[in-house]
Amino acid sequence: MRRLREFKVTAFQAGLVMGLGAALIQAYFEIIPPPAYGICMVCHPKDLVNWISDHLLGTTWGNVTVSVDWPVMTVLGIVLGAYVAARRNGEFRVEPAREPIYHFITGFLVINFGLILGSCPIRIIIVSSYGSLIGIVGYACMIIGVVLGSAWLRRRARRQVRERMQK
Amino acid sequence: MKVGIVTLVFGFVIGYLGQRARLCYIAGYRDFFLTRDTYILKGMLGTIVGAVGGFVLFNFLGGNVPGFPMLLDTPGMNLRSAWLFAMVGGLGLGFFGCLSGGCPYRLHIMAAEGKKTFWAYGLGFYLGLIYFNVVTTRVLEWVVQALR
Repeated sequence: MRRLREFKVTAFQAGLVMGLGAALIQAYFEIIPPPAYGICMVCHPKDLVNWISDHLLGTTWGNVTVSVDWPVMTVLGIVLGAYVAARRNGEFRVEPAREPIYHFITGFLVINFGLILGSCPIRIIIVSSYGSLIGIVGYACMIIGVVLGSAWLRRRARRQVRERMQK
Repeated sequence: MKVGIVTLVFGFVIGYLGQRARLCYIAGYRDFFLTRDTYILKGMLGTIVGAVGGFVLFNFLGGNVPGFPMLLDTPGMNLRSAWLFAMVGGLGLGFFGCLSGGCPYRLHIMAAEGKKTFWAYGLGFYLGLIYFNVVTTRVLEWVVQALR
């Protein structure tokens, strides 16, 4: 089989495809309600896990309307797509874990705060584009959170450098 | 059936593009704040342009875009708890997302590239999801009742 030619894509083009695609699958492929639900990296995993758990283990965690009959499987698609892309471009490399406990805890906190907000950093953009005022407020708060987090990272890095200089 | 297939195919496309473009929805703001690098920030701009353009266009063409633009008709608008959740959730997601090194989308892609660091992240992510279903939901229900 002849391989497809590898193409270059910038962040702007990829973002454009994501925004347009999220609008498209809502408008013509019935990924609604809730509105503006085309991509979400915290709600879609939740739907998938809840669906599997409700059907296999008999829990009653419940789901949004879209995912009652069949769950949304965006997460599987993303992991699969990224794996194929990494494999085809020779970027797939199993690397040992660095600070696994730190990343475990941040992952734990990210999903909990994400579900309190009800959207991931991608869906908050799509919800804001849909014109939702609560979405815009959440988006502004998220940017403030990122700025605070960046300031924290910078402070930590500076302190580490200072400690290393003193040794 | 249709929902599963559509989202799987769309997920594959954006997973592939995201891996090629190194798109991340938290690193964009972080890089701009720390180093004034705008490469990833342009991805966010692209998403806003694509989503707004898409919704306006499909609304015009008669697609299924109910209540667009929402503005003051946002569901849950008159609940005080909804505003609180938006602010607390947004701040927490931004802060801890920044500490974890990127948005969940980017870190799933990094995990698929074989970096075991982000397998640990994924483990925390999915255990946190179960924790949310069991514990955090109860707390949120209590807050909704208290602020009513």
